[in-house]
Amino acid sequence: MVASSLDAREIKAIQNSSSPNDENYVQALDSQLFKQGMSFSGNERDKLWLNRGTDGFSDLSDMSGADSPNDGRAVIAADFDDDGDVDLFVHEIQRERHGLYRNDAQTPGQSTTHFLKLRLRATSSQHEAIGAQVLVRGPHGVTNQVLARGAGFASCQAPELVFGLAAADSAEVEVIWPGAKRESFGTLAANSRALLVEGSGKPQLLAAAPRPLPNPLPPGWKLDVGDALPKLGLADAQGREVELDARELAGGKRLYLNFWASWCPPCVAEIPTLQALADQGEVRVVAIGLDLPRDRVKARTLMHERGGRFPTFYLPEPSAKPDSGLAAIADLERLPIPATLIVSPDGRIEEIVRGAITDTKRR
Amino acid sequence: MLLGTALALAACGGGADEAQPSTPAPVQLPTALTIPDPMVRATDMERVETWTEAIANTLFDYSDKLRQRDFTAAQEWLTPDFAGQAWDGLPVSETKSLPLATNKQIFDVSNKRIVDRAGFMASLAAHIAPWRRVEFVLWKLKGAEFEAQAPLSGKIRFKITFLGSGPDGGPRALIAWANARAELVDSQWKLALFELTSLDLTQRSDYLFTNVSVSAGVAHSAPRFGEPGASTWAWNGAACGDLDGDGDFDLFVPNAPRNLVYVARAEGGFDERALELGLAQPAGGTGAVFFDFDNDGDQDLAVADVGWREPSGAIGGNRLRLYVNDGKAHFRERGSELGFDALCHGYSMTTFDYDGDGWLDVYVANYGRIDVAPNDSWTDARNGTPDVLLRNVGGQRFEDVTAKCGLGDVRWSYACAAADYDLDGDQDLYVANDYGTNSLWRNDGGTFTDVAAALGVDDLGNGMSATWGDLDNDGVLDLYVANMSSTAGNRILGRLAGDEQHRSALLKMAAGNTLFRAGASDGKRTFERVASKLGGVDANWAWSAALCDLDLDGRLDVFCTNGFITGDSPADT
Repeated sequence: MVASSLDAREIKAIQNSSSPNDENYVQALDSQLFKQGMSFSGNERDKLWLNRGTDGFSDLSDMSGADSPNDGRAVIAADFDDDGDVDLFVHEIQRERHGLYRNDAQTPGQSTTHFLKLRLRATSSQHEAIGAQVLVRGPHGVTNQVLARGAGFASCQAPELVFGLAAADSAEVEVIWPGAKRESFGTLAANSRALLVEGSGKPQLLAAAPRPLPNPLPPGWKLDVGDALPKLGLADAQGREVELDARELAGGKRLYLNFWASWCPPCVAEIPTLQALADQGEVRVVAIGLDLPRDRVKARTLMHERGGRFPTFYLPEPSAKPDSGLAAIADLERLPIPATLIVSPDGRIEEIVRGAITDTKRR
Repeated sequence: MLLGTALALAACGGGADEAQPSTPAPVQLPTALTIPDPMVRATDMERVETWTEAIANTLFDYSDKLRQRDFTAAQEWLTPDFAGQAWDGLPVSETKSLPLATNKQIFDVSNKRIVDRAGFMASLAAHIAPWRRVEFVLWKLKGAEFEAQAPLSGKIRFKITFLGSGPDGGPRALIAWANARAELVDSQWKLALFELTSLDLTQRSDYLFTNVSVSAGVAHSAPRFGEPGASTWAWNGAACGDLDGDGDFDLFVPNAPRNLVYVARAEGGFDERALELGLAQPAGGTGAVFFDFDNDGDQDLAVADVGWREPSGAIGGNRLRLYVNDGKAHFRERGSELGFDALCHGYSMTTFDYDGDGWLDVYVANYGRIDVAPNDSWTDARNGTPDVLLRNVGGQRFEDVTAKCGLGDVRWSYACAAADYDLDGDQDLYVANDYGTNSLWRNDGGTFTDVAAALGVDDLGNGMSATWGDLDNDGVLDLYVANMSSTAGNRILGRLAGDEQHRSALLKMAAGNTLFRAGASDGKRTFERVASKLGGVDANWAWSAALCDLDLDGRLDVFCTNGFITGDSPADT
């Protein structure tokens, strides 16, 4: 039984206008299906649509970087770092469950990325003003947002509303308080953070409180600049197990540890530059090829044809002991290549170069 | 589309093929491609679905080979005499500028250069080999028709997705729609013919968002669904609020065996502090909301859960819970003593002051006990656990006013959202239900009437999420409802005969999210379903949707989570 046949039964159940019975998908949920790791409407990536007014919505999900396939449920949209745009927190059901996605789509507060951030306090009803509607006259007309605690699916949003103003330098703000009383707060300057208190008629400006969300490690890497490089268990060109010690290899010099594969054209194109660096004699260059054993002859041939004479090692044989050290420095499934670790003479990572090295004048 | 002069191709299928593995005879490539329709179409839906699934599952396997850029292994998926259209060398027919400096190139696929299987893989490699990372590949079956007689073959249609990072590290999405002829060879489905019907490449210089979960201190890893300790599929709520009154936003995540609380640090990032704040236990739950239940100026926390009474009278699962803040960000769970302890099947909650007395009340949208008493219908299920409205009595206790207020709907509710949509001074409530229609509870001074059907917002479907927000910049709250849409559902529905009315209802069930644009007529609020061709609604198996201006252009955008269950095995529908 595979999952899609459940859909077939589901449709039949509708067609026959009969009640779903013991053959519905709940049985599948309880069955061995999911214990065996089967999917049901799996591998669906979270969606992001940008509103383009009368032109409809643009689907930018594939560009978002917030499109985890881990089966998202709740989502919170809030400006966690107080930079002026909303970030996203997603609670997924699988494995890496908590996704915090920093909004880097724009730099808020620049000439075309003005914003208003508004908090509310009611005086004639509950003070949190839940249910208040805030109307901001922006570049495309009036935008209305309601302050809600609990909307979407199992999601409770933050008590703050963020409005984009594009290039507008200011915007009129009006609040419909719980009870439907309307109150104007006049015109607020772009990039203001303000508290709107019912009955006061004018905004109380709040100071910015930036709380930058730290950058992640580059994708695929598990070590960062400053970390010591562990010993690496690898295979040499003949398939023999070798243990690589960065400090030994460097011999008192700076080490360029390059990750490449024969199937990666930019990696192949990079070989002469790496050789030129090695020839200058100030640094040591060592390559780690990520080719499968069956492709190593091809890899060696390519390296030779491109004039690469620096030492090259390969992934350890599957029979090698599992903790080869490589797993501690990178997630090879996810590591974008080419990539180069620049390691200091004492074995610490000084720099992670993403993409090909193009400049032979590097130190 | 094929040129009218194209010749039908009969190079595949029959014929004794005594190919010698060592030196296969050179393939005689055809000069034109036609993917033939079945001569006699198989109509037995059960068998057709079985074949379709078998092909869909091979597609997943080979998708993964291509993700690893293992073109040699992926080539095994093509018959030895395969002939297909090359992906490379196609001219760009149009370049579109999408928002946020996103560029989309649309290739002209009318030039059909035909290649053998090695050439086909080389043409794919020409596109994706230079990428720094291929993150995700999916050849998704969108339709299939089969020949009724042996040898088994079919004409299939799929959407092909390659996602990754380009040479510059920026996001790339290579998307194709294609037709192919599939043949069953030695009980393996393989592709014999292939032609593109569209191909486009979308790219920008960087991702719009950066995943900072690990660096910001909110990462949390747990077992895959189905593994021991991970048996709940709809419990993953989250609540955001300022629990310590320092002006920034903290996060509460219900979780077993203990809850998690991420408290924002003044210098950026978060610390997990549930234990010291008294929020780690009692653990678990579904959705949660922060609100000040006793109007003492700090944030308290309500957590929904699933609980029931056994025939024996014993209590199963958990009751609702209320964690009360002592003003110093230390919490104590006091649900039972405050009357906030109903037995519910709640996933979503919303807090609002339904009676305008200045104290925040709580509505719990209740689903049903699907493992004990499954839904009694797929299109109008009415045997769910009744929804509950708990009235806040002066910050002293809660009382159940469900019946008094005309509520207690027994549809299978997943989500609720409150707003005064008609601006008459009291807060109304929209509730999204699975397996049927939704409700819009108009509040008339404290009693509720379901006006969803009258206003055309009952939205037949598998309702998952409800959110109010102004998506057309007219100053009036529109309504965004997330539903399930299903590739398999649409595929099967496309094959079903039946009367038109029934069929259109079924298609609505599989149609996806709905945007209702609010308007006015004779001074009264109206809603109109926005045509799906405007986009923004196709999210497959959707869950929560948030409406927010992600690019600060003055228009609210839509972010929607989706996906039911993704296992380790790629097999799926």
